[in-house]
Amino acid sequence: MKRRHFFKVSALGTGSLVVSTFIPLACMPEERETTYWDPNFFIRIDSDNLVTFICSKAELGQGTSTGLAMIMADELGADFDKIKVEFADGSKEKYGRLHLQDTGGSNGIRMVWKPLREAIAITRELLIEAAAKQLGRSASSLYTSMGYVHSAEDEQKIAFGDLITVASTLPAPLEVKLKDPEQFQYIGKPIPGRLTKNASKGTVPYSINVKLPNMAYAVIERCPVWEGSLVSYDDTAARQVPGVIDVFEIEPIEEQEDDYKGGVRAGVAVVATNTWAAIKGKEALEIIWDLGPNARYSTSDVHDGLTAYRDDNRAVAVNLKNAESLLNRSNQKLAVRYDSPRQAHACMEPLNAVAYHYGYKVEVWAGTQSPSMTRERIAELTGLQETEIVVNNHPTGGGFGRKFTCDYIEEAVIVSEKIRRPVKLMWTREDTIKTSKYHPYSSDFWEALLDDKGYPIAIGYQGFTGGPSAFRPFPYGLPMAYRSRLRYIKGWLVPRASWRSVMAHPWALGLESFMDELAHEAQIDPLEFRLNLLKKAEVVKQKRDPWVGADLYPAKLVGTLEEVAERSGWFTNADEDVFKGCSSIGYNTSYCSMVVHLKRGTNGLYLSKIFATIDCGTVINPSKVKSQVEGSIVWGLSALLTPSITVKNGQVEQSNFNDYPLLRISETPDIEVEIIQSDDVPTGSGEPGVPGVAPAILNALFMATGKRVRKIPIDLKTF
Amino acid sequence: MELNINGERYSFELKDETTPLLWVLRDFLDLTGTKYSCGIGQCGACTVHVDGKSTRSCLTPASSLAGKEITTIEGASSNAVLSLLQDNWVEVDVPQCGYCQSGQLMSAAALLSQNASPTTQEILSAMQGNVCRCGTYVRIKKAIEKTVEDLNS
Ligand code: FES
Ligand code: FES
Repeated sequence: MKRRHFFKVSALGTGSLVVSTFIPLACMPEERETTYWDPNFFIRIDSDNLVTFICSKAELGQGTSTGLAMIMADELGADFDKIKVEFADGSKEKYGRLHLQDTGGSNGIRMVWKPLREAIAITRELLIEAAAKQLGRSASSLYTSMGYVHSAEDEQKIAFGDLITVASTLPAPLEVKLKDPEQFQYIGKPIPGRLTKNASKGTVPYSINVKLPNMAYAVIERCPVWEGSLVSYDDTAARQVPGVIDVFEIEPIEEQEDDYKGGVRAGVAVVATNTWAAIKGKEALEIIWDLGPNARYSTSDVHDGLTAYRDDNRAVAVNLKNAESLLNRSNQKLAVRYDSPRQAHACMEPLNAVAYHYGYKVEVWAGTQSPSMTRERIAELTGLQETEIVVNNHPTGGGFGRKFTCDYIEEAVIVSEKIRRPVKLMWTREDTIKTSKYHPYSSDFWEALLDDKGYPIAIGYQGFTGGPSAFRPFPYGLPMAYRSRLRYIKGWLVPRASWRSVMAHPWALGLESFMDELAHEAQIDPLEFRLNLLKKAEVVKQKRDPWVGADLYPAKLVGTLEEVAERSGWFTNADEDVFKGCSSIGYNTSYCSMVVHLKRGTNGLYLSKIFATIDCGTVINPSKVKSQVEGSIVWGLSALLTPSITVKNGQVEQSNFNDYPLLRISETPDIEVEIIQSDDVPTGSGEPGVPGVAPAILNALFMATGKRVRKIPIDLKTF
Repeated sequence: MELNINGERYSFELKDETTPLLWVLRDFLDLTGTKYSCGIGQCGACTVHVDGKSTRSCLTPASSLAGKEITTIEGASSNAVLSLLQDNWVEVDVPQCGYCQSGQLMSAAALLSQNASPTTQEILSAMQGNVCRCGTYVRIKKAIEKTVEDLNS
């Protein structure tokens, strides 16, 4: 089996595609025994007609692998039901770093859509060309469908698998035409896909299921305080647990400049013949820690620290439409602070990774959002060449940003290096809540100068989000001053990891609550107030790289707001028992507006329904898009309504789902999602539905109680 | 020791009597459909049936189960309610990451095997012990309701 990549796809910084053509020396007869053809890094066609899609993005349950496979099937003319999906290894030679491979910022479909279609269109043209030769027809009279090249003139058809020998000898065309949307057979349809089928049978191949010959199982007891160190440990009892093989120290690794890497805590590893023995061994350890300086601080110190930092750093960094001088006027002002707590990711599949350090090469099996960065990091860590590192990426039981960092994989490699055999490193649930990396605590300060009718003239903002070239700019078109950023202090109390919707969460809590406060000051209906401003606002240009998306279009927010207002009866439902709140958010090139209905029941206030409308460009799979928005809303509800992560004397106070509960089925209201039809480039749906949840509910809460709540989480029953 | 799982006999060596069924299934018998997520009975990811009853395998020592009939997600083919639920799970496109879904399905199957026409309230309380971080609750409810319809038609 010869690999003949006669063209290579790689993304440049601009996101453009390079197709470099190699004409292979494939005319030699012995080379004709091709059993498969992999013309580019997205696809392999076997001579028995199996089409394999090689998904460069991670599958965390967000449906990207299904969506991309549908795109491939359509562009190729393949039978979607017969496509096999494999995940690419962490190779930046093939996919580049970030752009086509690492998964975050709801970028899966958005970044891969174009290069994938171009590469597959070339593949299609080559198959057609090969069939033309075989049938003695002109290529223009042939087309592909359901895994065959068909003749438009008669019944003749040839299976893809029978064309690969010839197709692999042909030069790639320099230009190809992408299919017209009318020709799509799958794109736009609600297809469950293979992951759904496997998940319903319990057969998704998560890394936690990996078992290798001679594999050991390991867990680590980590220092409960970030940056604390190990003084000594007694492993006598641990070693007596049946099945325990070895116990040793894990030295801490500093968080790297790029905080997705490193940040391994000091710890003691227990290696055993099975997971239970390892966990029991860990519980039997007696450890003395030096907890270090962070043990002096608690969550309240972070809150006060942010206040102090703000008082000392109030300079205006960005001044749009002369906002600064307006804000200096002596008119009436509204100035408020919003606080968001730390959160844990609590992926249902706890962090885990299998690693085998052979001495001269390393292979890992893990569910990771950043396979190429992880490979780079393992090379750095072990001193081996990147070519000696293989990252087998598995579909994973939730990532939500936590599996973008690679500390848990680094740990597995370290343990395997020590014992020179394959090892599955498991985090217990307690480890993932008590000694992990977290969404940071944050405070956002908003102020507005009001005219004598209470209408805003200019806005001031200070928080973690910079502007206006950062990725969550203000869409409402008013004069706006961004004060110097409240710097997130690295490693302060506990380390950080991206958490579904990242800093858009606190930003939206402030922005969308504050817009509501302003509407009430001006005595205008809050949804109408937003529409009025957005209809006058201009497009907000963004200068960041394609990772975070393009310009922000207020008109798209208008579209989603109007749809959700109409559907939820915002202006027409006069039921006095329903308290309504809304929000409207642009997130990395997608737009999502929401309306919530609060009602008062015998046990206090409760959520009766949430309506959401998303505009994410061309919809690949409406079922997946809607389920992402539903899931995002549940995520946002957990963040708002269930207890958060708190730190006392450097230690996280929560440990498992008993004291860090997540939203459950009976607490979930009815959720109804609609999608705006659009022909624009497809954009993400995994996160845009998160940030608007908290403000929409708090805005409804204000309608119900007249109380403005600016700090989350909350307990609805207490109002 | 020996266990009866999905109608088959499995024998294995059990060195530690406290080993929960969960880890016997996963590490010793390679029945990895049953999942670990909390280990303290709080999330339902590890749900199996013991003599038809919904049971948290993370809290149940395997040594206590000799002679009992254990059903895991792998045993769907011999459980009509479970396989109907699975079909509707696909139809409604319930799973996202899928990790919690074995447990969700086992809890739903235990409910519907005992009560083929549950009220909404009964569905919610039977499913209350199963956490889904991806937030598939709306669809879980829909797929169970659809199965109830199918069972009664
Ligand atoms: S793992 Fe058993 S209930 Fe969570
Ligand atoms: S589908 Fe991911 S946790 Fe439920």
